Amino acid sequence: MTILPDKDAGDLRAAARREVQRGRDFVDEADPEALVTVTVASVALLAAFVGFLAVSSLTAIPFVVFLVASGYGWFRHQELTARVLTLTTTVSTILILGLILVFIFVEAWPTVEYATVTVFGLPIPGLRLFIDTRWSPVSPPIRYSLVPMIHGTVLVTIIATAVAAPLGVAAALFLSEIAPRAVREVVKPGVEILAGIPSIVYGFIGFTILSPWASDQFSIVGQGTYLFVGVVVGLMALPTVVSVAEDALNSVPESMKSGSLALGTTDWQTMTSITLPAAFSGVSAAVLLGVGRAIGETMAATVMLRGSPGLTKPLYNVFYGNDTLTSLIAANYGDADGLQLSALFVAGVILFVTVLFLSIGSQYIEARMRKKLGGAE
Amino acid sequence: MAGAVESELVSEDTSETEAVAAAAVGVAAILFALSLAALFELVTITDTLAGVPMVALLGALLLLLGLGVVGFGVGSRLGYVATNPRPSAGLVAAVAFSGIWFVVGGLVASQTFGLGTIGWGGVAFVTGGLAFAVTALPREDIGSTLPAGLLAVFAGAVFVTGLIGPGWVWDLGWEQSASFNAEFTIPVITAFCSLLVAWGAAKSYGGFGARGRHVGAYLLVYLNALSIIAVLFLLVAFTVFKGLPGLFNGLSFGLGTGPETTLFGFTFAWPLSWPFVMNGVALLNDVNGVLPAIAGTIWLVIGAVLFAVPLGVGAAVFITEYAEHGRFTQVVEIATNGLWSTPSIVFGLFGLAFLVPRLGNGKSLLAGMLTLGFMLLPLVVITSREAMLAVPDEYRDASAALGVTKWQTIRSIVLPAALPGIVTGIILGVGRIAGETAPILLTMSGSVAPPGSQTVDVIGGFQFISSPPFVENPELLQATSALPYQLYSLITAGVGQSSNIANIEQFRWATALILLVVVLGFYAVGIATRYYFRRKLQHE
Repeated sequence: MTILPDKDAGDLRAAARREVQRGRDFVDEADPEALVTVTVASVALLAAFVGFLAVSSLTAIPFVVFLVASGYGWFRHQELTARVLTLTTTVSTILILGLILVFIFVEAWPTVEYATVTVFGLPIPGLRLFIDTRWSPVSPPIRYSLVPMIHGTVLVTIIATAVAAPLGVAAALFLSEIAPRAVREVVKPGVEILAGIPSIVYGFIGFTILSPWASDQFSIVGQGTYLFVGVVVGLMALPTVVSVAEDALNSVPESMKSGSLALGTTDWQTMTSITLPAAFSGVSAAVLLGVGRAIGETMAATVMLRGSPGLTKPLYNVFYGNDTLTSLIAANYGDADGLQLSALFVAGVILFVTVLFLSIGSQYIEARMRKKLGGAE
Repeated sequence: MAGAVESELVSEDTSETEAVAAAAVGVAAILFALSLAALFELVTITDTLAGVPMVALLGALLLLLGLGVVGFGVGSRLGYVATNPRPSAGLVAAVAFSGIWFVVGGLVASQTFGLGTIGWGGVAFVTGGLAFAVTALPREDIGSTLPAGLLAVFAGAVFVTGLIGPGWVWDLGWEQSASFNAEFTIPVITAFCSLLVAWGAAKSYGGFGARGRHVGAYLLVYLNALSIIAVLFLLVAFTVFKGLPGLFNGLSFGLGTGPETTLFGFTFAWPLSWPFVMNGVALLNDVNGVLPAIAGTIWLVIGAVLFAVPLGVGAAVFITEYAEHGRFTQVVEIATNGLWSTPSIVFGLFGLAFLVPRLGNGKSLLAGMLTLGFMLLPLVVITSREAMLAVPDEYRDASAALGVTKWQTIRSIVLPAALPGIVTGIILGVGRIAGETAPILLTMSGSVAPPGSQTVDVIGGFQFISSPPFVENPELLQATSALPYQLYSLITAGVGQSSNIANIEQFRWATALILLVVVLGFYAVGIATRYYFRRKLQHE
């Protein structure tokens, strides 16, 4: 806990007082009957939620009360009920993110605790997950190292980014600046459809066509290479990069581009010296989001990789593919229980936290860019 | 102005040189296509074309192209060709070329001459540095043609002399073995060199300078867009081509040929029999089908939409219309965007930990519905919010000026105006979740090849009981199949589990095709809806 500077604390206190005052005004103004109705509905919903969490068979009763109360409120006091109901939906959206966090962390904890290593007399939970390199859930000593899977995920993500980032940004430039209208009307839905092809279909085509072809071309023993999983995943992350980068390029004010063109530059000069630098942060946010997609991509990796956790030899051997964090979960959840299942949740936590950070980072970058361009106008 | 007169004069003979440069680009394009065809084994590199061995042909074309481009650059430098180059080709090109030549020098030194780390490192640095100097220091016409052209000449010479022939192999010597074979290496080198040369030639076509760069860059950008569309087309066409035989196996029309269905008390027979979508998998079936998976996917989508749309639209209404823009809306925005980018497998884990123990303690259709609903929710919030923000404030003000309450404004002005956007967003989101495998893998997956009798019947499954919660539906609490999961399990299943299916390969492709049709159907409808509404808005 850090102690807030006085000014901030004062601001906060003032804000809190304002909120309380507003709430009091609101209660004073509202119809008491309506207030009772929405209170009953809220309390009932809360009770239903608690009941659901506690795996109670009585969950349905408060839920029915909630339905009845909000139904009554809808017909008698629609104004207030609608407001409270929409607030409830908003809260539940945030709640879902919170629940995901809590539940996968709780399920992951046993393995983290199991993998405690004492360094200088100080126990550090979960350290052995990252310093050992063995994943051997059956034969003793039982070890759940995530290093091989993290290695696989990193390799796949690097290759996927190398595919998706340049091609995606070029395609975004094409769509936003270069393409004639008629061409854009064809290419843009095309990119969207590329995003729509289910990942398992990509995986299936990779598994039946690409993997045997790669084994043949590179004289690999068996099937499954990080290289081609990376290429497929890159293709799947491409639409994300294209659409976000295109938004960023479109948000560069037209006046900036026209100003440059008026100086007699070519379109390409305007793009490289005006549009791209101005939209640079937005474009990098697009790449970050694409990286997030690539990290979390599951089915193509599960189907195309070998599913035998281990490091490749040498480490940069991309012509061999063992397992990624996502494919580990998808391939092992079935016969895992106890600590091993919990280890899968640890993999899930790593994925979730990494991608969440990428998402928040890209949002921050985008917000900054919007502010900058807004100020420039 | 003197310059204007001069350029008027030279434009006479530029048309000729332009034609030469355009021809070079054309030849490079043919070479690129040829190397792609070789890469995908449409033509084999051991073949002969008109009596000339394939490799020699590729090499000769590369040599010719490389020499042509170098000649163009040198000719321009010496003033035989009228161009307007800049003093230097620029830092970007210099770094790119030095990187390429660094790799070439290093590989030749280490693999061909067998030099040690210091040896090949030194050679690589020398070639890379030379390439940098050649690109960056002379005028642009030399700097952007010489390194590219020489690379093509070098590769062409290697192919023509047979240093890299059809039998060439470079074993990487790793413990998990892998090697570069000629069938891969030759086409890839050819494709790469032809791209470089095409870029150089396109720059020459534009006469170097700003216009040359413009032409060169546009060539690459157009090629990129074209190849993305080509990949999309190939993927879809290939799946359709492989899947069609299995999909229409045993299809027949005519009154009374199809299975009987009872709907609202009426029993009727379908006028067509389409075994693949009307059957399950069973030993005695003539043609096996995926009816249970189709029914599962339909119910999954319905359940997810029923869960996510009211929640998502409600949340969007609150944060756009009620909440003041501030800390709270920011948190909601970050949370929805975070949810949107959360990997699908994490949603699956969450469903496994949160929903499965609370819904009958086993994998179930309901758990799958809710998990996909969680995935759909952020998309609904984001698109609905965007659609509502796009409604002009004048509409709200005009409504408020009539003295109606805020909720009435929302209900009769904002929501109808935003409806097209919301609907489009929902349809596209549904397309996305209908194809998701990972979440349902962990929350509702059932048997690998379910028989037709296991088709879920949610409507018929409701029954009232005397103890809380008073209504139950065993159909909802059963594990079942869905199209993406069915495809996954068909890929990974052992022989024993799918032994009832005679032609497993055909069955898989047909399943992939029908999944693609369902998902892309949603996308097509979504995109079409958007165009329809946009056109309507433009006409008004």
